[in-house]
Amino acid sequence: MPPVSPIRRAGAAVSPYRRARPPESNFEDLLRPQVEYLYRLAWRFTGSVADAEDLVQDVLIKLFPRTQQLLEIERLRPWLARVLHNQYVDSVRKRARSPIVELVTGAEGEENPLDALPAAKDGPEEDAERTGQRERILRALDRLNPEQRAVVAMHDVEGYSLEELETMLETPLGTLKSRLHRARQRLRALLPMELFSAGERVEG
Amino acid sequence: MDCSEFALRLDDLLDGRLHALERKSIEEHLARCSDCRQRHEHAVALLENVRKLTPPALHPGFIDHALSRATRPTARAARPKWRPVPGMALGVALGVFLATRQDPVQAVVLTIDRPETVRLMFNSAKPLKAATLSLALPENVELVGYGGRRELSWQTDLREGGNLMQLPLVVRGATKEELVASLSHGGSSRTFRLKIEIDNAGRSGM
Repeated sequence: MPPVSPIRRAGAAVSPYRRARPPESNFEDLLRPQVEYLYRLAWRFTGSVADAEDLVQDVLIKLFPRTQQLLEIERLRPWLARVLHNQYVDSVRKRARSPIVELVTGAEGEENPLDALPAAKDGPEEDAERTGQRERILRALDRLNPEQRAVVAMHDVEGYSLEELETMLETPLGTLKSRLHRARQRLRALLPMELFSAGERVEG
Repeated sequence: MDCSEFALRLDDLLDGRLHALERKSIEEHLARCSDCRQRHEHAVALLENVRKLTPPALHPGFIDHALSRATRPTARAARPKWRPVPGMALGVALGVFLATRQDPVQAVVLTIDRPETVRLMFNSAKPLKAATLSLALPENVELVGYGGRRELSWQTDLREGGNLMQLPLVVRGATKEELVASLSHGGSSRTFRLKIEIDNAGRSGM
């Protein structure tokens, strides 16, 4: 959890009105307009709706006890982005340490009706449909490490400058540049130019 | 400027971080080097397309649900990623499964009294709404936050592809039975069994 100070309103005083309100009301007023933004960023980090929603939920739960501090933050969005980023990186690390059980995809030909549903790897036509440009980009992003993915999301997509990220993430500029360079290099290696010449749509 | 120098400055070019002179030098190089021109076009196209990716819409009601959970003390104490069916009309998208082999059995090693998140990854062939996930916990195994309840049930939406189920478990003593998770949807069901072994070495260190 980052300290409040770097983007704290200088000499800011919380209004007496807000001090008197229950923390739930202040928290909702502050965070409700930010949840969609947090979700969007979380999705860019994780590539999964379920994981993004979980990540946002975890961040909100962590932040509620700090409602009073939140009231004093001038630029809430970058501050929240930093909290979300840290939570994301922590969760990936914790996950890597957790015991994991992974199951394999069901064998073809089983009689259970669920197996009759179209599978992800049925045949060339289905495969071609599913491996459109969007899916290929998402898969390539999945192959970046969490720090690389985060810098692509925050810099290349959300538009934070590297200098802003240096402050927000408390990470040296050189490290950020190097992460970005490697991330882009890896993406270019995974996604050939031909993919972008076909005129396919990415929006989803 | 040569090609190796261009490769080093490509990121700065993409980010508009070059001084006028540097930029001019790069532009001159690009004008005469088709390979680097292609590299540049590739990099620009890739960035444009990454920027165009938009996330799927949030589940309806997620914002209300998430804010409400955040401000409830019980939710902060223990928070598995889903909640029992009663009272859960909307629900956050939960990790679950489909299309697994029949009754697969996997094993996981846990240390007594040490909570650990066990993750089960399953594949669903297509998105499914309101599937029912049931969990039967063996003796001496608890789901954190559910106070020793042995049988739990949830409704959940499945997305296509990999779905992750995270089970914060704590084992209180030796157990011979298996944890059984089953998923049903539209008259079909799948069962997954997890054998829980005790790490005795870990316990002595606590």
